[in-house]
Amino acid sequence: MATDGRILTDEMVEAIRAYFPRYPTRRAVTLPALHVVHDRLRHVPLRAVVEIAELLGVAPAEIQDTLTFYGFFKQESPHGLTRAWVCRSISCALRGGEELMEHMCRRARVRPGQTTTDGKLTLEEAECLGACDFAPCVLAGETLHKNVTPDMADALLKQCGVTLRDVNTRTTSDN
Amino acid sequence: MDCEPVLLAHVGRPDSHTLSGYEAAGGYTTLRQTLRDATPQKIVDVVKESALRGRGGAGFPCGLKWTFLPQNHPGPIYMCINADESEPGTFNNRILMEEDPHQVLEGTILSCYATRASTAYIYLRYEYPQCLKRLQAAIDACYDAGYLGKNILGSDYSLEVTIHRGAAAYICGEETGLIESLEGKRAWPRIKPPFPAVEGLFRKPTVVNNVETVACVRHIVQRGAAWFKSIGVPPDPDNPRDIGSFGPKLYCLSGHVERPGCYEAPLGISCRELIERFGGGVWKGRRAKAAIPGGISMGLLTAAELDVPLDFVGPVKAGCLGLGTAAVVVLDETVRMVDFLHNSCRFFKHESCGQCTPCREGTDWALQMLERIRAGRGRLIDLDLLLEIGDSIGIMPGTTICGLADGAAWPIKNAIRKFRDEFEHTIRATNPHGYMATDPVPALEMHALQH
Amino acid sequence: MAVALVNGVEVELDSHEKLNGIQVAARLGIEIPHYCWHPGLSVVASCRMCLVETGTRDPDTGEISMVPKLVPACQTPARDGTVFVTNSDKVRQARAMVEEDLLIHHPIDCPICDKAGECLLQDYHFKHGQGQRRADIRPFTSRRRPMGDTVTLFVDRCVMCSRCVRFTREITGTSELMVVNRGSHEEIDVFPGYPLANRLSGNVVDLCPVGALGDRHFLYRQRVWFMTSHAGICTGCSTGCSIWIDENQDRVYRLKPRTNPHVNQWWMCDDGRYGFDYIHNAERQTRRRVREKDGQHVELEGSELPDRLTRDLKSAGRLAAVLSPHMTVEAAYLLTQFIRQFDPQAMLAMGPVPVVGADETFPNGFCIHAEKCPNRRGVEEVLAHAMGRIVTWDELTEAVASRSFDGVWIAGGYPSPWIDETSARTFDDVGLLIVQDVFDSPLWRRADYQLPGGAFAEQEGSYVNVADRIQSVSWAIRPPAGVETEVRLLWRLLERPGLCRVRDVLHEVAVEIPYFHEAVHEIPPTGLDLKTAMLAASMD
Repeated sequence: MATDGRILTDEMVEAIRAYFPRYPTRRAVTLPALHVVHDRLRHVPLRAVVEIAELLGVAPAEIQDTLTFYGFFKQESPHGLTRAWVCRSISCALRGGEELMEHMCRRARVRPGQTTTDGKLTLEEAECLGACDFAPCVLAGETLHKNVTPDMADALLKQCGVTLRDVNTRTTSDN
Repeated sequence: MDCEPVLLAHVGRPDSHTLSGYEAAGGYTTLRQTLRDATPQKIVDVVKESALRGRGGAGFPCGLKWTFLPQNHPGPIYMCINADESEPGTFNNRILMEEDPHQVLEGTILSCYATRASTAYIYLRYEYPQCLKRLQAAIDACYDAGYLGKNILGSDYSLEVTIHRGAAAYICGEETGLIESLEGKRAWPRIKPPFPAVEGLFRKPTVVNNVETVACVRHIVQRGAAWFKSIGVPPDPDNPRDIGSFGPKLYCLSGHVERPGCYEAPLGISCRELIERFGGGVWKGRRAKAAIPGGISMGLLTAAELDVPLDFVGPVKAGCLGLGTAAVVVLDETVRMVDFLHNSCRFFKHESCGQCTPCREGTDWALQMLERIRAGRGRLIDLDLLLEIGDSIGIMPGTTICGLADGAAWPIKNAIRKFRDEFEHTIRATNPHGYMATDPVPALEMHALQH
Repeated sequence: MAVALVNGVEVELDSHEKLNGIQVAARLGIEIPHYCWHPGLSVVASCRMCLVETGTRDPDTGEISMVPKLVPACQTPARDGTVFVTNSDKVRQARAMVEEDLLIHHPIDCPICDKAGECLLQDYHFKHGQGQRRADIRPFTSRRRPMGDTVTLFVDRCVMCSRCVRFTREITGTSELMVVNRGSHEEIDVFPGYPLANRLSGNVVDLCPVGALGDRHFLYRQRVWFMTSHAGICTGCSTGCSIWIDENQDRVYRLKPRTNPHVNQWWMCDDGRYGFDYIHNAERQTRRRVREKDGQHVELEGSELPDRLTRDLKSAGRLAAVLSPHMTVEAAYLLTQFIRQFDPQAMLAMGPVPVVGADETFPNGFCIHAEKCPNRRGVEEVLAHAMGRIVTWDELTEAVASRSFDGVWIAGGYPSPWIDETSARTFDDVGLLIVQDVFDSPLWRRADYQLPGGAFAEQEGSYVNVADRIQSVSWAIRPPAGVETEVRLLWRLLERPGLCRVRDVLHEVAVEIPYFHEAVHEIPPTGLDLKTAMLAASMD
C-alpha cells in the first residue's frame, strides 16, 4: 500500500505514464494500466480504479466498464500467488483437459475460479491457451506446462506450495 | 504436394528468435532493399498481385484491403497486428512469434511501409507470455539496429511499434473488437460501414492484419507474386468468386492424433493427408469420426469428408463455414457429439461480447439446451430449436454485428445435421420418459453449474 | 427530388435531409420497431429489432435489386433509390427472434412493473413476437439497484440497449452509468461512490424502452393507462422546455419532455421534471377573501367579486400593478388593460425575477438557465408596450414607499416563497391591496383582496422563453375548487362576452404589440420564433 492512502505506488504511476507517449489518447492506456496494477497487486481494487481514472482523465465508471468486460481482472481480493489456467477448450478436452481440472480441483480442494485458503494458488478455467500441440496444458504464472499428466499436475501443485489432499478421498471439496 | 518450408524455415534453428540468428539467415535484407528501391505502392501492388488472402480466419484478400485506405491521407495511419490468436485449435501464430519473431517484425515493417502506417500496435493475447518476452526483445533489438524508429536504415520512413497486451477475450480477435479494446473500451465490435480502412483506430485509417499474413508479406516482397502463386491452388474457373488459394500455409493439427503440431504445407492439403503424413495418423489405432477443419468456428467435417482440400473453397463445399485458421482438430470414434457440441456452445456463450441480442441470448440459450441434454433432460425438439438458432444468428444472415455468431452457429448446424441420428439416440437414451415433450421445461439451476 | 421506397410506396426526401430507414418509414406511418436507436444518441445497431430488407432501384431501368442479408434500418441511410421492405416473412421472423431472445432472461413481471402500458417489450411482443414460449422457464423477481437520488434500476428487466449509458457519455458528459460483465451476464451499474447525479438524470428513464430504469419520484404512484398526457411548457426556468403533463383526474403525476428541436430537443432537467409537487401542496390558497373593516378576512363569492372590486378600484385613485414573470402573455396583457381602465396613468411593473446561480450548459448544448421563471421576455414586452419602458420591482417598491399609489394589484404566481416580511411592509399604507398568488406570504396576509391564482399546469396561454420563442398551451388540469386562473378572472372582470378565449387574446396582443406580431399566425406545437420574424420585418 502506498503512502497517504493511495493504492498506486509511485512506481506504478511511472509505469503507467511510460505508456502515454505511445498512444494518442490516455484512454488507450486503460488496459496497460490495469495490467500494471494487476501484475503487482494480483487484483485491481475499486480505489485503484478511481486512481487510474484520475490518471487517465476518464470517469471511474469507464475504467470499471472495461475492467469487468474481461473477466480476467480480479477485484475483490487478490488471486493466489500462482494463478494456474487450465485449458477447457476442444483440443485439451479431447485429451483429458476436463479430467485434469477435476483432478487438480480435488487435490487443491477448490472449485474452478477459487483460491486455496492459504492464498497460494488460484485455479482458473481458460479458453484455448493456444498450446493444443501440448494438450492438455496448464499456464501457471508465466510458465506453460505441457502434456500435463495427473502426476505432473501434483508436482505443479506442490511447487506452488499447495498441500495436496489425499487422492483416494472420493468427495470433492466444498471450499 | 511437397514444398520446402517457407514460414517455418527458420524455426528450430538455434537462436532462431534472435536478431543475429535472423540476420545470419538473410533477414532484413528484403527490408533494406525495399526501403532503398521500392515505393510503398510497389509493395501494395505485389501483395495484391499475389492474391494473398488473410490468414486470421476471414480470408479477405490482403492487398485489396490495403487499397481501401484513402489516398493522400494526412495521417496518421495505423497498423494493428492481430496476435490475439484465440480460435480453439489454433497455435501457429504462437509458434511464429516465439520461434521467429523477426520474420513477423520484418513482415510488419514492410506492411506498414506499404500502407504508410506510422504506428503499429501488436495486439498480443495475454496467454502468450513467452511470445511477449521474445517479441519485446526482438522489437528492442530492432530499435537498436535501426530497423524501427525514426528514419529506418537512413530512409525517410519512420515506424513505432508497441505491444498491447490483451486480457483473455476472444472477441478482441475481431477487427473492430480489437480496435475498441486498443482504445481502452469494452471490446464491442463496431457497426460497419465505416470500415477500419476509412475510420478505424482512434477514428483514423487502419489496417488490421494477422501475424501469419504479414509473415507471408515478407516472403512475397522478397520472392515475388509469381513465386507465391506457384504454391497452392489456382482459382476454380467455374467459380467467379474464387481468387485462388495461394501460398504456403501453417496447419495446426491437434486432438486425437499421434503427433499434434504445426505443419507447413501448400494451401490445399486435405485433412486426411495432414493426419496421415504429418500427424502420424489417428491416435491409439482408432478411426476418425469427425474433424474440425479450421478452428472450432468452422464446424465439422465427417469422416467421409476428410479428403476435402483445406483451401479457401473446399470446406465451404462440405458445408463448413470456411478455412478459418486452418486449425484441424481430430475427433476419434469414442467422442460423443453431444460433448463436442456442449464444449463449443460453452465457449461461444463465454466469449460472446453481449452487444447484440441474437448472439448474446442465442449462445446462452444454446448452451442451456446442451446442458439440459447432457443432464439427461433433453428433448428431441431441442435439436430443432438449436438448428433454428444456428440458422438465424450471424453476420451472414445480417442479424448480428460481427462473425462470432456465425462461428457459434456453424458447429451447431454441422454437428446436428451431420450427426442427427447420434443426437437423437443420445436424447432418447438419456431421457426415455421426457424426450417427446414439446412444452417448455424449467431451466436448470445455472449457477450451480460451472461455466 | 430524391425518392426512396418503403414496401413499394414512394417517399420524397429533401436534399438536405439525412434520414435512416426508421425515419423514412415513419413518414408513411410505418413503424419499424427498435430499442437502441434514438435520434439524439449515436447509432449502435445492437438491439437488432429494426432489421429490414434493403436494396436499390435502378434509376434508369427501375429494376430493384435486394441485398440478400437483413440490415438494421437505423444504420441504413435513405438515399435516392433506396428500397426498404419491412413486412416480409424474413423481417417478421427476425423480429420474432429478437423478441423471443429478449424474453429469455427477462423476469416478465408486468403486474409489478411501472412501465406496463408504455413498454416497448410488451408492445413489440404483441405486435411482433412469437405466440408461444419455447425457451426454458425461469420465473424470478428482478433485482433492484439504486442509481442515484432520482433513478432506480430493476437490473433484470434491462434489454442492454445501452441508451442510458450513451446518454451519460454523449449528452451530459458525466459518464456515471456503465455496463459491467460480458455476454448474457451484462448489467447496468454505477461505480460505487459515483451515483447518477447529473442535473439531467431523469432523462434516462424516458430513454429506457422497458421498465428497467424507474423514476423514484413516480415509482408505483400511478398506472400509465389512467393518465392523460397534455402538451405543456415547463415553467421552471427561461429555457421553456416543451413537456408532457401526465395527469389523472386533475392530479399531476409526472412530467416528461416533449420533443422540440428548437428548444429542448428530447430532454428536460431534473429541476423542472420533479418541480411540480407544489401544484398539489395542501398549503395552496384556494379561498377568495376580502378584508372587512374589522380587519378580518371573509370569504367572497365569485359572483360578488366583480362589483365589489370594481367599486373599490374606481374609488381608489392612483393605481399600480405588478406582473410576475410567471404570468402568461395573455393574462399579463389583460391585467394591463383592466388596470388602465381605472387609471390610464397606472404604473405597470415587473415582479421580482428569480435568479439562482448561473446558467449551466451541457456538452450537447442543452442549457438550464439561472433565470427561474418562464416568461420574463413576454411580460417585459407587454409592459414595455404599455409603459414605454420596463419598470422594475425595486423601482415600484420605492414608489409605493413614497406613497405614490392608492391601489396596487400584485399578480404573483410564484411556486416558492418570494417576498419577506420587510418587503411586504412596504405595502402597509396602500389603501387597496389586491394580491393574486398561489401560497400564503407576508404580502398575502396584508391583502385586502386575496385572489388564489393558478399553478402552471392549470394555465392556458403563452410564454416566451429566453430565445424569444413563444409557445402556447392549453390547461392540463382544473385548478382546485375556489381557484380561478388569472386569465379567466381578468376576462370576467373585463366583462368580455362568453367563455374565456385565450387564443383571441393572443391575437389581440399580436395585432397591437409589434414584438408579438408573428403570433397572428397559428402557433405550432413547437412554438414560434418571434425574434427572427422581427428581424426580417425590420429589414423589409
